[in-house]
Amino acid sequence: MQIRRKCSAAQLLLLVCASSLSAEDLLVTSLPPGRYGGDLVVAERSEPKVLNPVIAVDSLSREVIGLMMADLVHINRESQRTEPALARSVDISEGGRRFIVHLRRGLRFSDGHPFDADDVLFSFQVYLDENIHSPQRDLLIIGGKPVSLTKQDQYTVAFAFAQPYGPGERLFDGFPILPRHLLIGPYKEGKLNKSWGLNMTAGEFAGLGPFRYKEYVPGQRLVVERNPYYWKQDSARQRLPYLNRIIFEYVGNEDAQVLRFQSGDADIISRISAANFETLSKQANGVRRLIDAGPSLEYTFLFFNLNDLSNKSLPQIESKQGWFRDLSFRRAVSMLIDRQSIDRLVYAGRAAPISTHVTPGNKLWASSRVTPVSRSLETARSLLASAGFSWNAGGKLIDGAGRPVGFSIVTNTGNNERLQMATMIQQDLEQAGITVRVVSLEFRSLLDRLMTTFNYEACVLGLASGDVDPGSEMSVWPSDGSTHLWDLSKSGLKSGWQMEIDHLMASQMRSTDRAERKRMYDRVQELIAGNLPIIPLVSPDVLAGAKAKLKNFSPAVLLPYVLWNIEELYWSEQ
Amino acid sequence: MIRFLSRRVLHAFVILLLISVLSFVFFQFAPGSYTDAMRLDARVSAETESAWRTMYGLDQSVLTKYFRWMRSVLRGDFGFSFAYGIPVSSLLWPRIRNTLLLTSVALLVSWSAALGIGALTVVRRSRAVESVIRSSMALLLSIPDLLIALLLLLFALRTGLFPVGGMASLGTAHTVIAHTKDVALHLVLPALALALLSLPLLVRHVQAAVRESMCAPFVQAARAHGIPAGRLWLAYILPAAANPLISLFGYSVGGLLSSSLLVEVIMGWPGLGPLLLESIFSRDVHVVIGTTVLSALFLIAGNLVADLLLYAVDPRIRWEQ
Repeated sequence: MQIRRKCSAAQLLLLVCASSLSAEDLLVTSLPPGRYGGDLVVAERSEPKVLNPVIAVDSLSREVIGLMMADLVHINRESQRTEPALARSVDISEGGRRFIVHLRRGLRFSDGHPFDADDVLFSFQVYLDENIHSPQRDLLIIGGKPVSLTKQDQYTVAFAFAQPYGPGERLFDGFPILPRHLLIGPYKEGKLNKSWGLNMTAGEFAGLGPFRYKEYVPGQRLVVERNPYYWKQDSARQRLPYLNRIIFEYVGNEDAQVLRFQSGDADIISRISAANFETLSKQANGVRRLIDAGPSLEYTFLFFNLNDLSNKSLPQIESKQGWFRDLSFRRAVSMLIDRQSIDRLVYAGRAAPISTHVTPGNKLWASSRVTPVSRSLETARSLLASAGFSWNAGGKLIDGAGRPVGFSIVTNTGNNERLQMATMIQQDLEQAGITVRVVSLEFRSLLDRLMTTFNYEACVLGLASGDVDPGSEMSVWPSDGSTHLWDLSKSGLKSGWQMEIDHLMASQMRSTDRAERKRMYDRVQELIAGNLPIIPLVSPDVLAGAKAKLKNFSPAVLLPYVLWNIEELYWSEQ
Repeated sequence: MIRFLSRRVLHAFVILLLISVLSFVFFQFAPGSYTDAMRLDARVSAETESAWRTMYGLDQSVLTKYFRWMRSVLRGDFGFSFAYGIPVSSLLWPRIRNTLLLTSVALLVSWSAALGIGALTVVRRSRAVESVIRSSMALLLSIPDLLIALLLLLFALRTGLFPVGGMASLGTAHTVIAHTKDVALHLVLPALALALLSLPLLVRHVQAAVRESMCAPFVQAARAHGIPAGRLWLAYILPAAANPLISLFGYSVGGLLSSSLLVEVIMGWPGLGPLLLESIFSRDVHVVIGTTVLSALFLIAGNLVADLLLYAVDPRIRWEQ
């Protein structure tokens, strides 16, 4: 009898242990409860190309993948700070060299298969594989060495870095965890790059995101459906997401996107021009809600060709580089540009004039010490005069050798705002006697000139940071960065301020002290605003809209602008 | 007949081969490549971009690239799409069906309308009718293609009678009949746009051909013999007018196909047009070449059908063969 009682107690203990082990460690949010049901139709200009996060490069593919997969730590697009996701917690030790990631227990992929440390190890093995060439791989090379992973137990993984990593756990956002049980086969066969194309079936896919792949109709739509195993709950312990399906309709262009939204065929619209935003706002009628989320992380700018052209046989451009390299000339050009008018006329007041690359949309890192540039024709003229320029009888600016000063600005066709900005700059500079020609080129042709042939004089372009952290700008500001557009030739002729930027950017990546990093990045912003390797213009606002019945719709300035909290969206009535 | 047909097929094959070679060569001259945009991605280093170029064979010679592509054509893949990461054939086939559906309906509508309008003006000989038709055709000819498509879209938006683009509504495909009705409703405006684009040219040719055959001596003689109007039209005028119109038919297939690419893009019809446009901009070379060759194939097929019809209708051609 006593033995039997002992057995029963042991069985009970085992049962409790087993149930506690298999219990789902769900993330309970503070979100007030919503209601289940309904579909969400999103009209998109292009269709997603692949659903494989390891090789996806286009933004829409990544956006759709983001709905179906999850990362260890996630950046909240509203607060711009990190929050736990698949990792319940992360312990950082050894001065920022070692991250111990504690995973949530009992979670399941969208096909019902359990998730554990092996999936994490497999995912990072794939991202780091040199034969796969994942675009994310470079982010995992820290201090010249790849991140190394060790499994400590079924739900604990240790990440070791060769040097302290400044952005810390932000690294994990953007590395969706792959289902080992589905992809280990294709990976071993060397076919992982060809897996999860749009020709796959729903059964071939599994993820840890709020939705899972349902179907793709070529050229028409992609449908994802609710993941019944999703690991987040609202405050009433209702499992998220609320919506049944998300339907991405491919409509081809922005005008068609607007028409679909106007006709009610699409529920959400984003990435629209200020002109379309104004039109839609006037017709909103309480049925639709248009939201201006404020300045984005995109910075538009004018820059001059500062590349070393000695091997390029471009004497005409080379002869003008003397002006472009002259800081007084660049400052004068910057002072001549009327950014307020650009904001008012090109963006209908829905942009922010900027004087450095960190826009007001970046809540955490924008420096208050960088002063805004205001237009001053007089100051510009005196700057030019002090740099040896003068004006001829016709009022045209001439340099010390008597050559009239003029250059061409290239920009890309298909982006009306940039073309209008270039035209406005042309008119602004005309007032100081500088002749500007505006040339629009098809985007790839433009990139070819900017990055390969260097056959251009000046260019108006925009870049959008992927994150608010300075780490996301590492390819732009250090002189060896692959997007150091104004001087990709790496001529070795580094100025003092550029060397200082190189040093500061490298140092902030190694520092784990947030205040120290901020100080360093503030100094980078001051150096950029003072030395103008680029002439910052404006940062356009994030403009979006949705049907008024869609609740929790809250566009953010970080990509993806509108679907970042997709699990929280719900319809107020069916 | 078989000799005639085989000779035409052989010509078609040579033309397709030449088109594929020229497309490859011309695409080489286009500045930029698929991987260029990756360099604006903050995550991607120059080394990774270079590795992608090697992976896709973008650093190889034109000749090597062409022969690699030809090998994949023989396998039925038509190359590999860099952007989609799948064989081009699996991108093309579903879209070809949609493009063919649109162009076939537009062809039917435009030719029916052109024959009706053309014949009406010649038969009625009313100055008022003729001037209305002439003015309408001149107006259609002068309006840019883009504007016609946009006006039709605006009409759909304002009236709500037709869907604003796309090919099928969500949640209507419960039965085959419902789905067919839905697709037909979506088809009206793009097909109408295409038909309107080609109508002025067709009407003009139909008028000229009918007028010419009506004035032919054998038609005058038949009329003088008191042959009834119906028989006169069916047995004499239309067969005589058919010859130039059949030749025009072959060309109109090609014309409609090229116009359909534009209409598809504007009206969101999921055919080859949007895919081609996006592939050109992203320099997805195999998709561009595949679409070009397929479009050429349709044009050649249209002309082949026209040749066969001419062979059947015109005894002089049979005699020449």
